[in-house]
Amino acid sequence: MAKKLKAIVRLQLEAGKANPAPPVGPALAGHGINIMAFCKEYNARTANRAGEIIPAEISIYTDGSFTFVLRTPPASVLLKKAAGIDKGSSAPNKDKVGKVTRAQIREIAELKMKDLNAVDLEGAMRQIEGTARSMGIVVVD
Amino acid sequence: MAWLEVSLTLEGEAAEAVAEVLARFAPGGVVLEQGVRFNDAEDEGTPVGPVTVKAYLEADAAIEERRQKLEEALYFLGRIRPIPEPRYQWIQEQNWMEAWKAHYRPLEIGARLLILPAWMESPASERIILRIDPGMAFGTGTHPSTQLCLELMERLQPFPERVIDVGCGSAILSIAALRLGARKALGVDIDALALENARENARLNQVDETLILGHGSVGEIRRGEFAIQNAPLVLANILAPVLSRLLDEGLGELVAGGGFLLLSGILQEQRAPLLQKATEKGFHLVESAERGDWVALLLRRGHS
Repeated sequence: MAKKLKAIVRLQLEAGKANPAPPVGPALAGHGINIMAFCKEYNARTANRAGEIIPAEISIYTDGSFTFVLRTPPASVLLKKAAGIDKGSSAPNKDKVGKVTRAQIREIAELKMKDLNAVDLEGAMRQIEGTARSMGIVVVD
Repeated sequence: MAWLEVSLTLEGEAAEAVAEVLARFAPGGVVLEQGVRFNDAEDEGTPVGPVTVKAYLEADAAIEERRQKLEEALYFLGRIRPIPEPRYQWIQEQNWMEAWKAHYRPLEIGARLLILPAWMESPASERIILRIDPGMAFGTGTHPSTQLCLELMERLQPFPERVIDVGCGSAILSIAALRLGARKALGVDIDALALENARENARLNQVDETLILGHGSVGEIRRGEFAIQNAPLVLANILAPVLSRLLDEGLGELVAGGGFLLLSGILQEQRAPLLQKATEKGFHLVESAERGDWVALLLRRGHS
């Protein structure tokens, strides 16, 4: 049922900086989404959070109309902040670029719990730990 | 200018890590797209299945070098968890502000109506034109449930003087009612953004003086929060489970004696139970219309 919903698109953008250039344009134009309406609304809702990456989860309906909600920053962004690094490792299997504690992983998992497809906090923590490993961030007790 | 689209389709857990890698090479941001599953009749859709992660790299002089570095980063990520090969596609720069508009064209509905996207010139036509600005509200006119409603409405002769539109979305139905002959209409929605879009459409169609728009639903109308409390025509194009709930909350009570209730957003298999409920509430079926899986019911208050 509820065939009215067609797809869910998450755009990870910098607050206040949505514009019709890629990725917004090609991601939304194909679905018939009013690009200016989206950019205007996203920029207005994120205007006071300059510099942050704030994902917008857009529900696209079968008639081209849409709604969106703002999500918590990506786990990778929160991990970089927790580890005090600017970017993840380009060779995460051998070059480790930072450390986070299990308590920090728990904190991030709690924050992101509602946005993750995890059944419980343990599951959410495993997902965050996995992301940390793949960025070359070591998890310590 | 051209762009190199990089995309990988993979399971949800790995998507975040891949998005992180792609974001390093595409500072404009990344896209994650997922399909939808419906858990039950009330569910409007839950993300499910593999996620496609996409990023766009600007095709400048250093594009090949960046592509190589991106592949290296993905290779190392692949040493930790399996990820598929990236797919590449060249995308030519285009006017994205205009490109989405290609999805909309003038739509003839029934015998008398024509839905026209807001930016198009009025064609020479005998039809009644409804101008709609597609945006953050359901009701652009391209969905069968909206079209069925409009088709059943335009057949009403004489057209009722007052109309209530519950869950008005873009207000396309209220606007159509006013253009078809109603003197006053009330459109309500529980979504504030939909109401903004509705107000814009009311202005576009020059019915902003006769269309009352407000935040609320059946309860607010029954409590007298709006200038109109009942009408000889009540419209509700939502979804069957919501329509059923609204009938329990007194949707039928908004219909003036002998008046019409037009329900849409109903799938074929939901028709019988909804019709039964409407009958229990004192309505009988006048006419129905179908397109694909969708059904709309025109009901009348009182016994046949």
